[in-house]
Amino acid sequence: MFNKVLVANRGEIAIRIMRACRELGIRTVAVYSEADKNAQHVQFADEAILLGGAAPKESYLNVDALLRAARDSQADAIHPGYGFLSENASFAAAVESADLTFIGPSAASIRAMGDKAESKILMKQAGVPTVPGFEGLESYDEFKKAAHEIGYPVLVKAAAGGGGKGMRVVNAENELKEAIELAKREAINAFGDERLLIEKYLAEAHHVEIQVFGDKHGNLVHLFERECSVQRRHQKIIEESPSPLLTPELRARMGEAAVNAAKAVNYYNAGTVEFIFDPVLSSFYFLEMNTRLQVEHPVTELVTGLDLVHWQIRIANGEKFPFTQSDLHQHGHAIECRVYAEDPSTGFLPSTGKLLQFIQPQGPGIRVDSGFAAGDEVTHFYDPLLAKLIVHAGSREDAVHRMKNALNDFIVHGVVTNMDYMRAVLETDDFKQGRVTTRWVETKFAEWNVPQPDLNALIAAALADVVFVGGRTQSAVSKETDPFNPWKQTGNYRN
Amino acid sequence: MKTTFDTQTIELNPSGENYIAVVNGKTVNVHVIRAANGRMDLLVDGQRVTAHVSSDMAKRWVTINGQTLMLTKTSGAKQGVRHDHAGGLIAPMPGQIRSVSVGVGEAVKKGQTLLTMEAMKMEIRIQALRDGKVKSVFVAQGQTVEREQILIEVEE
Repeated sequence: MFNKVLVANRGEIAIRIMRACRELGIRTVAVYSEADKNAQHVQFADEAILLGGAAPKESYLNVDALLRAARDSQADAIHPGYGFLSENASFAAAVESADLTFIGPSAASIRAMGDKAESKILMKQAGVPTVPGFEGLESYDEFKKAAHEIGYPVLVKAAAGGGGKGMRVVNAENELKEAIELAKREAINAFGDERLLIEKYLAEAHHVEIQVFGDKHGNLVHLFERECSVQRRHQKIIEESPSPLLTPELRARMGEAAVNAAKAVNYYNAGTVEFIFDPVLSSFYFLEMNTRLQVEHPVTELVTGLDLVHWQIRIANGEKFPFTQSDLHQHGHAIECRVYAEDPSTGFLPSTGKLLQFIQPQGPGIRVDSGFAAGDEVTHFYDPLLAKLIVHAGSREDAVHRMKNALNDFIVHGVVTNMDYMRAVLETDDFKQGRVTTRWVETKFAEWNVPQPDLNALIAAALADVVFVGGRTQSAVSKETDPFNPWKQTGNYRN
Repeated sequence: MKTTFDTQTIELNPSGENYIAVVNGKTVNVHVIRAANGRMDLLVDGQRVTAHVSSDMAKRWVTINGQTLMLTKTSGAKQGVRHDHAGGLIAPMPGQIRSVSVGVGEAVKKGQTLLTMEAMKMEIRIQALRDGKVKSVFVAQGQTVEREQILIEVEE
């Protein structure tokens, strides 16, 4: 087994990976930018190395600095997490040429799936159904012609892309030009590659993805689906497993298609094959394959009982799966809510500031993967994900109730979060019935008004200046007047 | 003691061990069971209320039953007044200017993208609120801006 793993990431995922390393008896190295010197992932690691400035290019995307950090700390493997360099084939190759193990798929698999245009051709050859569209277009006129042929609405997206970056929906021709320009710019920023592809935009579709996993001995299995249709601008907000839509027969067919997709690129380690699912026709199309650990992987961990990060590390170390497809089952229902520092009342603009309170919910079936604590600063440099709240229960209905209560118990002060918004989503009939499509948030649930403070909120706000000395809650002193306080009781009974 | 939060005023006065609160003509009795570490357990007219409260300058963050609100303490005079920068468009959050697509003197249409900024890996378009002419541009590409900094001014 590895002696020391460097985690080339930050926030909750860096901590989640380091926790797995510790459990496997592996020492951990964190890396950080100047903006993150006091971040939780730095505190969590056995050692930490500064990469450079706050801008991702200078730090978390800085390949030279990362390889130097790995060498200096004598790490023998690098886990890239998600985002940043996780789907960068050159990085994976550079790690391997530096005699380190890349905890993920081969550079060749990443390269093959990373190019959305080429992967689509590969999938067609492998018999995996794909969305109608065009690749390799350059001039505006070519895009215009292609869009016309496919029929609006169309989707323009980065050929090198993923995660909703460099992706725009175009409803009519007069929006096409600006959409192409914006998508190109985002594509260059995010991936350093401005090529775009264009395809039919399926408005009333669901996003259903299949987790796949392979070892280096040719064994490939799938770990069932995740339904991720609650999205806003292609960013997932709520994910669950199982999907409320799939029949066992469909699940088996999608699982098989996903395994075939992975086989076509000789895949090993954890990956996710994303499908667009049309519930009316019960048909599904390959969207893309994410050649990395997914943000929403905990949902799969809770229903399958497998620790995906443990297995990523063990597979990178050359171990063989001790199980086959028929040994794997889904148990109960899991839901994840992504707690973002975003303000739903301002069109989800990121909210920055110092966390004055950060109290995580607890209880049976509740898991919080978080990268923050009270006192931490949420900056504008990185993704606004504060934490992932994941619950597991026997049924979907029970899981929804558990999630609502857990959201209630999650206290975040100092930045505005999307938690009220997510709770409202969980309350809708559409969500309860599993009818939420990928456009639902934008078309049916876009309006959001901040509730007005009621009497109790005003009382609490006014009292804070009186009962918390100096008005500073962090340095508050206790005012103890509880007549039921057991420590003050002098009765002669005990319980 | 009277305090105004945004547009609502509350009067809170001690009364023996308890407090009397008056809001919109409604009077309630408040008993503080416990208040520590940003959390207070209250009896409001006998009903149990648990609130988490944080203070940051004039801001008060309050969470009751899972609902979080941000209230801003205002003096009576400022009540209800919003920042109107007379045609000036302000940065909705801290970030970096990616591009400026208009120059001084240029005529612009309502909804036209005037400049774009990037924050938290997201592109934010600053658009004209009405038809008009660009009076001044206060920022340049690559510049880092603070929240509520005036970026550009458009006159009718």
